[in-house]
Amino acid sequence: MNQMWNLLSLEIKKFKNNAVVDLFGLMFLITMPTLIFIGKEFRDLPPPIPSNTIFFTFPGVWSYLGFAGNWLVFFFLGFIVLYVVTSEVDFKTMRQNIITGLSRRDFFLAKFYVVLSLSLFATLYYVLIALAIGYFHNDPYSFEGAFDNEMAIPRYFIMCLGYTSFALLIGFFIRRSGIAIFFYLCYVFFIEAMLKWFVHFKLVKNASINYWPLNATEDLMPFPPYTFVDNIPRKDLDFSFLLPYNHAMIATSIYVVLFIGVAYWSFSRRDI
Amino acid sequence: MSVLSIKNLSKNYGNIKALDNLNWEIEQGNVYGLLGPNGSGKTTTLGIILNILQASSGSYEWFGGKYGDNPRKQIGAILETPNFYPYKNAVDNLEIIRHIKGAKETDFHQLLEMVNLAHRKKSAFRSYSLGMKQRLAIAATMIGDPEVIIFDEPTNGLDPQGIAEVRTTLKDIADSGKTVIMASHILDEVEKICSHVAIIKNGKLLATGPVGAILSDDTLLEVASPDMDKLRTFLSDVTWVKSTTEKAGIFECMIDENHQVGEINQLAFDRGITLSHLVGRKRKLEEEFLEITNKS
Repeated sequence: MNQMWNLLSLEIKKFKNNAVVDLFGLMFLITMPTLIFIGKEFRDLPPPIPSNTIFFTFPGVWSYLGFAGNWLVFFFLGFIVLYVVTSEVDFKTMRQNIITGLSRRDFFLAKFYVVLSLSLFATLYYVLIALAIGYFHNDPYSFEGAFDNEMAIPRYFIMCLGYTSFALLIGFFIRRSGIAIFFYLCYVFFIEAMLKWFVHFKLVKNASINYWPLNATEDLMPFPPYTFVDNIPRKDLDFSFLLPYNHAMIATSIYVVLFIGVAYWSFSRRDI
Repeated sequence: MSVLSIKNLSKNYGNIKALDNLNWEIEQGNVYGLLGPNGSGKTTTLGIILNILQASSGSYEWFGGKYGDNPRKQIGAILETPNFYPYKNAVDNLEIIRHIKGAKETDFHQLLEMVNLAHRKKSAFRSYSLGMKQRLAIAATMIGDPEVIIFDEPTNGLDPQGIAEVRTTLKDIADSGKTVIMASHILDEVEKICSHVAIIKNGKLLATGPVGAILSDDTLLEVASPDMDKLRTFLSDVTWVKSTTEKAGIFECMIDENHQVGEINQLAFDRGITLSHLVGRKRKLEEEFLEITNKS
């Protein structure tokens, strides 16, 4: 615990008052509680969504806020993790830290603790916002049904770990900030989708298609209407396009361990 | 006592051998100059012993293994360029170094005064000139009172004033009794500061030892006459003149350490040769270095 705090406080000294971290952090803090309020604009919603109050009341608030967080964690927290790793390569402070006396293991652990802390903090922020929004939209104000949420809190935490540990892997593996950010975005938007649909789906048409790393992470907090759509029986395919939550949690947890393990393996063996 | 022992160290980049079976012992309290042309393997050697590069084969051991697998907290080092967080000021950057070293509270103002940077201690690192960055890096190496200090081309890219300032600081550090390893290709700098040298080329250690031992005891003689042909014949007849080369209208000869410069003057006079130029001096490290590296 002492060592964890020692390494975390070193990271705080390094990135305190850093414009990039401050900007992305602030954007996350502002957009996380506000994005969901766009839902107030949608008054006439198609079935099966009864009304827009579902966005703000328990238990719907967990799903809709979680889906907003799905994007925001991927963008803002993912970028922060990419930055705290790759900027150290750009500034050559990664090599200077090692020369100064930080072991490679401790340098890596410090970054891992950043990933862990950001995920914990983001989860706590999610819980506080969800509880506050849900409380003020219950009539009368109350926490009734607040925790009837299909394990939304651990799901959200694992989702945060999934994105941030993926960013950690990309950061340590690619190292160059521009290319790392480009690859991070490309992987999520194109590469995984192409591998999934143009390779995997051509070979095997079953639920295994859903177990790709970022698909599993995304399915921890899916776009809520998808869960309705997914229940509509289809003639052509006999499997769901969404992973069951417990499968998504286990798959993502395995990927988190893999991402962190490969990132450490790569960092500990390469020249800096 | 041996501070660093390097054994059969090699490093390959693909087919290129950056280091080739290097062996080197660093003794406590000495000031070592690691000399070599650009690309000779100086920075690669320092990179490996500072654990940022992985050796292809061979080993090294700091302080006889006293500090386990991370002895670098006992070493202050700059490699190639001064590397700091550009958006942080001098004090914040030094505090990060102190934190990593696990050193006790340090008077950064005093440290920055030593390198003449105290007046800019609250300015962001990115606003510093190259000389200021280099001086901050030197200050950073002193944090935690390390046993060994390593500098890699410490005056690279500096203007004459910057070079003079950095040299004064380096000389003070060298005189303080710490073990210093300084990689450089500026031989004058090494000759002024270092007690020992190691000469490296194409990844091979060509020579090592005290500066005095590397420098030959022979005397270098510069001699010229209005009749250079006659002088050339005369010099080839003198048995204790070891070698003669012509450079810009004068002959440079190595003469045996047991003979005096005046003897040449007397002998030439006896042969009816008038000398228009006669200077005797010890060889500079630069000349020894060029001879050693050209031979290999």
